[in-house]
Amino acid sequence: MEAILNYILGLGAAIFLPVIMIALGLAMKMKVKRAIIAGLTLGIAFTGMNVVLGFMFDAISPAATALVQRTGLQLTAIDVGWSPMAAIAWAWPYALVLFPLQIIINLIMLGLRWTNCLNVDLWNVWGKIFIASMVTALTGSLLLGFFAAAVQIVLELINADLTQKQLQHITKIPGVTCTHPMALQCAFLGLLNRGLDFIPGVNKVNMNAAQMKEKLGIFGENSVMGFLVGALIAFMGGYEVKKILVTAMQVSTALVLFPMVAKLFMQALAPIADATSTFMKSKFKGRDFYVGLDWPFLAGQSEIWVTAIVLVPIELILALVMSQMGMNNVIPLASIINVVVAVPALIITGGNLFRMIIISTIATPVYLAVATSFAPMITEMAATTGTLQVNAGQFITWIQLEAPEFRWSIAHALNGEIGGIAALAAFAGAFVWYYKHMQKINAELDNK
Amino acid sequence: MMKKIFVACGSGVATSQTVASKIGNMCEDEGLNVSVEAVDIKSLESIIDQCDIYVSIVSTGANNWNIPTISGIPFLTGMGMEEEFEKLKQFIAQ
Repeated sequence: MEAILNYILGLGAAIFLPVIMIALGLAMKMKVKRAIIAGLTLGIAFTGMNVVLGFMFDAISPAATALVQRTGLQLTAIDVGWSPMAAIAWAWPYALVLFPLQIIINLIMLGLRWTNCLNVDLWNVWGKIFIASMVTALTGSLLLGFFAAAVQIVLELINADLTQKQLQHITKIPGVTCTHPMALQCAFLGLLNRGLDFIPGVNKVNMNAAQMKEKLGIFGENSVMGFLVGALIAFMGGYEVKKILVTAMQVSTALVLFPMVAKLFMQALAPIADATSTFMKSKFKGRDFYVGLDWPFLAGQSEIWVTAIVLVPIELILALVMSQMGMNNVIPLASIINVVVAVPALIITGGNLFRMIIISTIATPVYLAVATSFAPMITEMAATTGTLQVNAGQFITWIQLEAPEFRWSIAHALNGEIGGIAALAAFAGAFVWYYKHMQKINAELDNK
Repeated sequence: MMKKIFVACGSGVATSQTVASKIGNMCEDEGLNVSVEAVDIKSLESIIDQCDIYVSIVSTGANNWNIPTISGIPFLTGMGMEEEFEKLKQFIAQ
């Protein structure tokens, strides 16, 4: 039995997950044609992601190595962004367990009235796979990995309840809330935002987000940012002009192709995700609940994009400064437009752009430090899942780790480290404060 | 002529593709000949002219495109989905 299982897993995610997908689809009475196409699409998504990731790494890694040799900066890890990270997570052998885990916890919490949120965002299950795989890699215990994921699932639901009124106030969209793990950073950013209340003059700064977005919008395009940062890395590596341009174009290509390939994952998962969420909704007919969604229903708020774009040079400078201090090894690249910090900043400040930029700037070192700390484990997992094999001494990582302070703390606390336990206690303290703070905010919103 | 429908979200990957797949399947089941595409909201300004109907998942205030627009949120929550799909069908028939 074990031999058979190992053989199947040994075929790689690009083979075994499509097989499971087709079987699941047929079991759920999907049309044969749609089930087969969904399965094949999933295999293509994995294979395609490996191709693009390999292509980008081949383009950027010599330039990054040259940069390290020329400048002496220990920037050995390359930020590949969330889409390859999702592919690596899906390829983790126990990935599929996280689906029933999220669904069951959600249904139990709804049944016990511990939450009013029904999370139908099955795409971001990968964020739970990610933490489970990281904790498992660090502690060697699968059980602890699932436990960490369960904690994240519970916190996401509680946070979805806490933020629903504020989200409706911002977007004017009723009946929905956000279950994305990035919103867990509201606790930390909320404390920073409260700190700003004691600095006179902060609220007097008025910035027009819509106008600024019009001017800065071009830097939000993956193509433009990929070209600029690719060129910057090649330039710092001492490349000649022609090679700088070629490297820049290749990085730009990869950054534009990443989401196109990632879309295939969603195309493959959509029918099953759809059937599952329909099933979940049918379980609670007549009970009032908010539907938990991924963050993009907030993407119409200009403040998010302006904050994320203004942060780009700040991230690059901090990456250099922190590497001098031995606290960062990451070259920000594919996830340099950090919406993951901008969204919780929007929620907690209610869209005050100036405050969003300040607290996001203060939080940026946390993203860099945690991305540095997770880089060896991510690189190892990319290799074992057959996604990408990099040279010794080089690493891949992901800056937009989504609530990095929470993920780092829980991973290292479960590993029995004093520093981790202390950090997790601090996170818990911040979350309790935030819980009470949001209750006050919600009461105020009710009175409006 | 085949109508082109765009759905946009933050990256053109997850939410938009969920809605695009859902609408695509619903149209296929009704025998409607359309192409539904998930796109990146950051690039929307430069490609919006290429579509006939826009499905928005952000608040209505953020939409100032000069083309027929429906809301994509009901396709995620399931609430009010039939009404929104009816609207879409009328736009397709036009």
